[in-house]
Amino acid sequence: MVLHRAARARLAPFGAAVLVAAVLVALGAPLLAPYDPLEQNLGLALARPGRAHLLGTDNIGRDVMSRVIWGTRVSLVAGFASVAVAAVAGSLLGVLAGYAGGRADGLVMRAMDAVLSFPPLVLALALGAVLGAGLGGVLIALGVVYTPTFARLMRGQVLAITAREYVDAARALGAPGWRIAWHHVLPNAAPPIVVQASLSVAFAILAEASLSFLGLGIQPPGASWGSMINAGRGYLQQAPWIVFGPGAALFVTVVGLNFVGDAIRDALDPRL
Amino acid sequence: MGRLVLHRLAATVPVLLLVTAGVFALLHLTPGDPIDAMMAESVDAEAKASLRKELGLDRPIHEQYAAWMRRLLRGDLGRSIRNGEPVIENVSRRIRPSLELALLAMAVSLLIAFPVGIVSAARRNTAVDRAGTSFALFGICMPNFLLALLLIFLFGVTLRWLPISGYTDPVEEPLNGLRSLLLPAVTLGLALAAVITRTLRSSMLEALGEDYVRTARAKGLSEWRVIRGHVLKNALIPVVTVLGLQLGTLIGGAVITEYVFALPGVGRLVVEAVFARDYPLVQGVILLIALGFILSNLLVDLLYGWIDPRIRYR
Repeated sequence: MVLHRAARARLAPFGAAVLVAAVLVALGAPLLAPYDPLEQNLGLALARPGRAHLLGTDNIGRDVMSRVIWGTRVSLVAGFASVAVAAVAGSLLGVLAGYAGGRADGLVMRAMDAVLSFPPLVLALALGAVLGAGLGGVLIALGVVYTPTFARLMRGQVLAITAREYVDAARALGAPGWRIAWHHVLPNAAPPIVVQASLSVAFAILAEASLSFLGLGIQPPGASWGSMINAGRGYLQQAPWIVFGPGAALFVTVVGLNFVGDAIRDALDPRL
Repeated sequence: MGRLVLHRLAATVPVLLLVTAGVFALLHLTPGDPIDAMMAESVDAEAKASLRKELGLDRPIHEQYAAWMRRLLRGDLGRSIRNGEPVIENVSRRIRPSLELALLAMAVSLLIAFPVGIVSAARRNTAVDRAGTSFALFGICMPNFLLALLLIFLFGVTLRWLPISGYTDPVEEPLNGLRSLLLPAVTLGLALAAVITRTLRSSMLEALGEDYVRTARAKGLSEWRVIRGHVLKNALIPVVTVLGLQLGTLIGGAVITEYVFALPGVGRLVVEAVFARDYPLVQGVILLIALGFILSNLLVDLLYGWIDPRIRYR
């Protein structure tokens, strides 16, 4: 266990470096991208990676590297925003269920069970489809998919914390319910939510890439890693770099975020 | 055991009701008019009005839901707008490739995960273990569509050993059928193998530290007999739990895998229905997938009670 933790700790700086690099690339995309990600140059279509185009060009001559750099924004926004939506919505529902108890609890938690009755990607696909293609639809769809995990976690926390003596003491002193929830329950329930959120971001980025790959999410000609990989799969024989550039970016980001998530979990929850 | 089955079945009923309500609501979440979204603008108003009537969209929403539920209880999941055939027929035509893919992927994952997980745990902190855990990390972080394209690039395009898309029925042509399913099954099975490897390794390490293992070793049993007879069976329970938890990921993975390899399965049907805006078909297939998912989870729960009798008496 100690060795395992040490090995993980060794990997955490790598994860942190990947995360910082990804955030910097996303923020600095206009400065870092060597070309306009949408600029077509049919004369240079399917150019091999070289000095002018480090990761080559795609089938209509757009610079793959510039598109990967701009795609970083989409991936990070999708990953962090959808998890933030889920964490806020799930926490509110969990507090409501745990605090109100009775019928409200039953209804909220059965609704969460119902959401969990769908395979996540299939539900996200269906929701993305009815909400319409685009980043907004994908964010809401992924937010809905991840909400039950946070609701269950928060409800459990609320039930455990409200049974503590300091909450009894606050009640005896006449503190109103909202005050107890805000000052006692939420701060104590936060660490597991933060851990779950940090572990979920990597999966949300993968899910956004999967939906973009299937054609939901950012629409052409906009650049996202998933849609670039899908567009490149027809050229696997002549120009595999169209797939490998965004593929490598996606893989490294997800691995890095996994390490960061593990490290945050180890730091905040020593029991695991 | 009977009580466990009844208890789990009873708990499923309210969830099922909410699932149907959710699937019904899908159509009504569409921004704007779902009929406009489903039919091209060129289609005349009369056809739109008739579809609106057929789907019951001209009635109040609670009546629509009641009528939809009545049809559902009779086993009528509606008709596809695209080909006019009942949803059930659309699905039953597509179910075989999906089941074959799922079974083969499961076989691939177990064939990889068990040897790797067992050796990793038995040779803890050696190079073999590090290779095993690295493999698990790779499998968990690798998006399956990317893995699919890497496999296609390597075995289909470069080495030309296996077909890169399309489906041959393995019942009719066993060899070609298996060849057509091998890359998809590896794509789908690898992520599952990674999760099982990780779980099996850690649960085996836990079991290896138990007193009964020390006793077995003290009796002079060989390490392999200790693992086979004492460790493995106790280490299996978390593996079954994880298998259950991974079912959803497996189904989602199957959607992508079938899409990439052009396999005519249920997953590909979902994608086609979504992009054709064939909402009745989307609703029907999603509902069937959710039912299948709930049922599989129920089976996993019961399997759990069967493997570990302690759970039944709680």
